[in-house]
Amino acid sequence: MKRRAFAGLAGAALLAGCGVSQAPNEIVVQRFFGTCNAQYGSQTDVAAAQTECGIITTLINKFRAENPDIKVTVSTVAWPGYNQLSAQMATGDAPDVVTMHESAIPDFQSRHLLEPMGEELRAVGVEPDNFTEASLKGVTIAGNVWGMPFDTWAPLWHINMNYFRQAGLVRDDKPILPSSPEELIEQARQFKKATGKPYFVQALANQKPAYSRNLYTYLMQQDADFFADPKRIKLRTPEARRIVEMFRTLYEEGLTTRDQDYAAATRGFMNGDGGVYLVGTWMIGDYEAESRRPDRPLSNGYTVYPYPQLFPEKDATFADGHSWVMPVKERTPQQRQAVYRLLKFLADNNFQWARTGHLPAFTSVIESAEFKALPYRDNIAKIALTGTPLPAGVERRFAIEDTIGEELAPAIAGQKSVEAALFDAEHRVNDLLFHVLATSGEP
Amino acid sequence: MSVAAAHVTDSRETRSGARGDWSSLLYVAPFLLIYIVLVVYPLFSGMWLSLHKADFFGERVFVGLENFTRLLADKVFLGTLWNTFYFIVLTVPALAIIGLGLALALNRTTRAAAVLRGVFFSSSVLSVTIVTLLWRVVFIPDGGFIATVLEMFGKPPVAFLSDEDLALPAIAITTIWWCIGLPMMLFLAALQQVPKELYEAAALDNAGRWKTLWSVTLPSIRRTFALVIIIEIVLQFQLFGQAQLMTLGGPNNASRPIVLFIYEVGFNRWDIGYAAAAAQILFGLILMAALAQYFVARRKGEA
Repeated sequence: MKRRAFAGLAGAALLAGCGVSQAPNEIVVQRFFGTCNAQYGSQTDVAAAQTECGIITTLINKFRAENPDIKVTVSTVAWPGYNQLSAQMATGDAPDVVTMHESAIPDFQSRHLLEPMGEELRAVGVEPDNFTEASLKGVTIAGNVWGMPFDTWAPLWHINMNYFRQAGLVRDDKPILPSSPEELIEQARQFKKATGKPYFVQALANQKPAYSRNLYTYLMQQDADFFADPKRIKLRTPEARRIVEMFRTLYEEGLTTRDQDYAAATRGFMNGDGGVYLVGTWMIGDYEAESRRPDRPLSNGYTVYPYPQLFPEKDATFADGHSWVMPVKERTPQQRQAVYRLLKFLADNNFQWARTGHLPAFTSVIESAEFKALPYRDNIAKIALTGTPLPAGVERRFAIEDTIGEELAPAIAGQKSVEAALFDAEHRVNDLLFHVLATSGEP
Repeated sequence: MSVAAAHVTDSRETRSGARGDWSSLLYVAPFLLIYIVLVVYPLFSGMWLSLHKADFFGERVFVGLENFTRLLADKVFLGTLWNTFYFIVLTVPALAIIGLGLALALNRTTRAAAVLRGVFFSSSVLSVTIVTLLWRVVFIPDGGFIATVLEMFGKPPVAFLSDEDLALPAIAITTIWWCIGLPMMLFLAALQQVPKELYEAAALDNAGRWKTLWSVTLPSIRRTFALVIIIEIVLQFQLFGQAQLMTLGGPNNASRPIVLFIYEVGFNRWDIGYAAAAAQILFGLILMAALAQYFVARRKGEA
């Protein structure tokens, strides 16, 4: 009997040992941006690192080396990692600090799952007044700061200048960009006639958010208040119809690549598949490097610009940003201090992160000479002012992006009427938002 | 033996029999406990959840059957029902027939047959990620295998994964390639149980190959055939990874199966009551399919 009891106790102890426990000085940092330990696992020279993964890995390595009293455990998740984070939060196993898109903050903040961070950031010398306008908008809800912004990113026009020259669309060494939907279609036709290539390279297969981001940008440029009520979207409008019809015409006339997924389009632009690739800030570094290789379609012929203003009402681009947030959880004073030391370190190194192509989150960095000296940053720096997220009260933005993209894709490819697609997109998004469970009380 | 003695003996036997039953139950108790905790409780908990509006973080409001009425009016969900049935029609007969064909061809003791059995089974051990990666390379129009072959014949590439009519068949082909090992092995096991005397008798009666197949082999393995059909229907109802990794359910909802719908509604939209309601419908469908197959197979067996 005694032996059995002992075996039972030993089993229980073994099971208890399987639980996750953190040392008082240990913080768990959960992030996306990929894994690259083979190349950067032990590197601490941040200036020598390239790519999102390389720079963030090296930054954390350097922080570890400079702060031996803190144990930093990094948990890398597949992009964007919110399913995993939701499950961790639901089971009370949240990390200490997490990368989060600013567009995802309202989902977690409204459920009281995030800590407000403004005061403690100020206390360690990270002043929210120094956030760029786009970043501040992205992390602020109801007057409180819910994350430390790390960057602002937006979809951009990555341009093959060699093809643009061939098409006669270059003046003073700058690309001639359209200023209306009609001009865009006209220039695209001119481009195709001269080069034989489609004007746009787009990831249209399996890439739902790209459709929504295009729509958001051009709705914002028409000053259409499509989320006047954060619980209801309005898409059955002439403004939305105009945009979808423009993209449909481009598709029908073969002025864009078709059937490419993200990987194919990203590679395709490098291989000279077309003139303009619609993708985000994160590709600048790769394409800039490609333009320095000889005998390639982009050799000495790459530049990048924000989405051109096609409508006179407003100069705006849909933008989002990456930020660092702190899930609500019990922490030792040591752990709390360690998290803010890490955040201060990341803020101090925001220029290094901006080398990825993303725009800095801090005004002092975006105005610095070293940032302006980076290639093409002058072209896109205005996004820090014109970059516009969806209104702060809109929840489930990732699901909304997917839903809209799912409906616009067949409309643009001619498998569904524009009217029907906008009706279905509006209905589905409003149904989704209507059924978001109301939360009780304030955080 | 007197009547009283007989009574005593009977009652002793009964008592020891009852004790035996209870002690037998003790042997299965650990399994039963785990089964109740991991299967029965979640099953009923899921049913209860489907009657609520709920999210991941504990908030719940009882809404009765509202989630089910929403589902019946949800065009996307109804599309996933059609897609799932269509996918079963595309895959299950093919898996059964190709699996049987391979088993018949490889049911011999030669070294080549042993190697080929291993080769055909090998795809089953791959993860869904690897399988979909391989087949993506086959299907993509931008330098994919089929596109390259078509190009050699001067034909334009076909966008299998972004064509409404071809996306689900492309996933079905991938699935058949991936899953063919299990039906083949089940049929092989069944074929090896068919008594040799039956084949000897058929040979003595001068029965040809087709006659032997039709009158000896197939009747002998009919229970395995039913088993393969049931297993495959249940498995293919649960299509998820291939659609998630190859098409994300698109284009235009043409390849979204029920499980992908449940995943998206639950994890991306956090509408887990609604997702649970869709899961109950899937459970009911699988149960009906399995019961129908079971009764059909039993009736044939009795006939």
